[in-house]
Amino acid sequence: MTDVASRIRAVVARTLKVDPARITDDARFVQDLGAGSIQSIELVAAFEEEFDIEMDEEAALGVKTVGGAVEFIAGVLRKNG
Amino acid sequence: MTEPRALTSKELATLASQGCTAEDWTKVAVGPGFDALRVRRTHFGGAVTIGSLAGAVRGPHGIEKPAAIEDAVLIDVRAGDDCRIARVGVHIAGYDIGDGACLEDVGVLHANPGAAFGNGVAVEALNEGGGREVAMFNELSAQFAYLTCLHRYRPAVIDRLAAMAKAEAAKGSGRGTIGAGASITSVREMVDVCVGPHARIAGAASLVNGTILSAAVAPAQVGAGVVARDFIIGEGSSVTDGAILARTFVGQGCRIGKQFSAENCLFFANCEAFHGEACAVFAGPYSVTHHKSSLLIAGLFSFYNAGSGTNQSNHMYKLGPVHEGKLGRGCKTGSFAYLMWPCRAGPFSVIMGKHAGNFDTWCFPFSHIEARADGKAHMIPGLNLTTVGTVRDGAKWPSRDRRAGAVRRDRITFDVLSPFTVGLMMRGKAALAQLMETTDKAVEEVPVGGTIVKRPILRTGQKNYRNAIELYLYEQAFLRAEAAAAGGREAIREALAVPPHAVYSAEWVDIAGLLMPAGRLRDLEHTIEQGRVADAAAFGAALDAIARAYADDAWAWVVRAFREAAGGDLTDASSAALHALAVNYLAAKRKFLRLVLADAEREFEAFSRTGFGMDGGDEDAAGDFAAVRGTYDRNTFVMEMQAALDALERRVSAFKARIGAA
Repeated sequence: MTDVASRIRAVVARTLKVDPARITDDARFVQDLGAGSIQSIELVAAFEEEFDIEMDEEAALGVKTVGGAVEFIAGVLRKNG
Repeated sequence: MTEPRALTSKELATLASQGCTAEDWTKVAVGPGFDALRVRRTHFGGAVTIGSLAGAVRGPHGIEKPAAIEDAVLIDVRAGDDCRIARVGVHIAGYDIGDGACLEDVGVLHANPGAAFGNGVAVEALNEGGGREVAMFNELSAQFAYLTCLHRYRPAVIDRLAAMAKAEAAKGSGRGTIGAGASITSVREMVDVCVGPHARIAGAASLVNGTILSAAVAPAQVGAGVVARDFIIGEGSSVTDGAILARTFVGQGCRIGKQFSAENCLFFANCEAFHGEACAVFAGPYSVTHHKSSLLIAGLFSFYNAGSGTNQSNHMYKLGPVHEGKLGRGCKTGSFAYLMWPCRAGPFSVIMGKHAGNFDTWCFPFSHIEARADGKAHMIPGLNLTTVGTVRDGAKWPSRDRRAGAVRRDRITFDVLSPFTVGLMMRGKAALAQLMETTDKAVEEVPVGGTIVKRPILRTGQKNYRNAIELYLYEQAFLRAEAAAAGGREAIREALAVPPHAVYSAEWVDIAGLLMPAGRLRDLEHTIEQGRVADAAAFGAALDAIARAYADDAWAWVVRAFREAAGGDLTDASSAALHALAVNYLAAKRKFLRLVLADAEREFEAFSRTGFGMDGGDEDAAGDFAAVRGTYDRNTFVMEMQAALDALERRVSAFKARIGAA
């Protein structure tokens, strides 16, 4: 597991208060991990803080799974150098 | 009616033969066109004048009945031409009845000498403990009431306003009047009540000491079972279905009914109140409460929507019901939201849950404030900026202005984004930035104005506000430039220049629906103190001038705010500046519209289909959902937003082409 992925899983576990074992790459935030609309916002905020990045709201809307989040944030980090 | 004359002996004989009696027949006078054959079984007391009696009167349900006076007791009454007065159980006394009025099946209609008809009654608004009384009068506006109620820290202004209110109230006193074309039917009791032209009062139980303002273009309606004491009801409003009013002012275009009860309340333009209860409430324009079990108490609201079971406490079980709450314009309270006053929420906030603490989030507009299981009020600043609800509200208010005719007493600024709300956002954003900078990363929750903001959300709130601030500033500039673009570069330059008469204030205020720079409010209050605005008409004229200046004042604010926030100059009409403006505006607005569309899309996600397709399978659920709720692509709101997005791209392209050519 990459550093980015493990940090993302830790953020998800902390924010959504779910069993880390359920946080798989293909786990969907809403359907599988129970993220409501407010929790989804808190999750994005937590990602932003964890990685000190700003996630574009529109683009972030397209992220539906844990694996998608890893890919998205890794991309942002690459872009930010 | 032309000069009335005495009855002829033939008329007197006819009247007597038809069962009529009089205390003194010499005090009964009639006008041209009087027809004694149309007066039956009526007793006249004191001085009575009757106009012509010809033709028909249109009563309830459009049924025409002959103009006539039958089965009535009239004491000191002046009836206009062609009225119908029939089946008066007790008497009508002290009234002037307008032409064509229809009074039928009325118990008692009595006006006492010196009655003021609700004018001058002090409404103990906002603070049940008193100290904020607003004297009602017919021409009362939301703005006049607001200053009277809330600016007690300016006693000289309050004294002047009180004098104006007293003078206005005095105008309302005198004989009772029933306006021309009014209809009063099946009403048990009306004492000291004036009724305006074309009002419809049907089945009211008891109306005492009040005025029902009405006009042909905006008839007022009072319906079955209504009990009202010490009240004024504005033109175009309806109070129906067993509503109970006590010491309550109902402005223009309001709807109150379904057994709603209100005491010591002020409702201004286009309020709606059904089922529930209000007490000591200052309901600014477009305050709405529709549900049973909702109690609004000791609160200041406008553009407000109360969810079912909304409730507040103003007591705290200490020194009495002395606490007040202020919700900025556009707030909503969710089902069973409970608030403990004193409390103040920023404009356009959504408040949910049972709050056991007090908070003040005035500088955090558009926030989501939710009482969670841990008992704390959690806030997400700016969350509601891009919700469907906010966008729909902003569009619906102006389209639902029920006020008709030339007289619109409450001056209303409808803009959701304005120097008022955007100015608050700027302050909120700065506060969040400061908190973020000074809060240790190990801290999970940050107290903000009595609420809790999760530390990462400090960043989210700033982002929400930054996006909206940018959108507003760019949009204001773009719209001005776009409107002038056809006139070429010079026209754009002129449009972007700040007019010399514009007033700039960093802070703006919302005076019961009317937005203005704080400087204009200070000027207004200064002129009141000096006696230069000395009556309600002059006060209204001053408000009109402020309302007319809104666009220019707002532009002065936008230019200064942009300069201070971004260091740029929105008055720059150079080709490069205008091009950049167009690009930035497009990006900001496109992002906004897409986020609103994303919010709308949530309404069509799998979760929203929960419970659809009862007794069937997944396909049935999808089919049921599509049949009932439609599809995202065909949803009216979605299509409007999509169209706005498409139009935006075209408009910006056209603008760029124009400035390129200019």
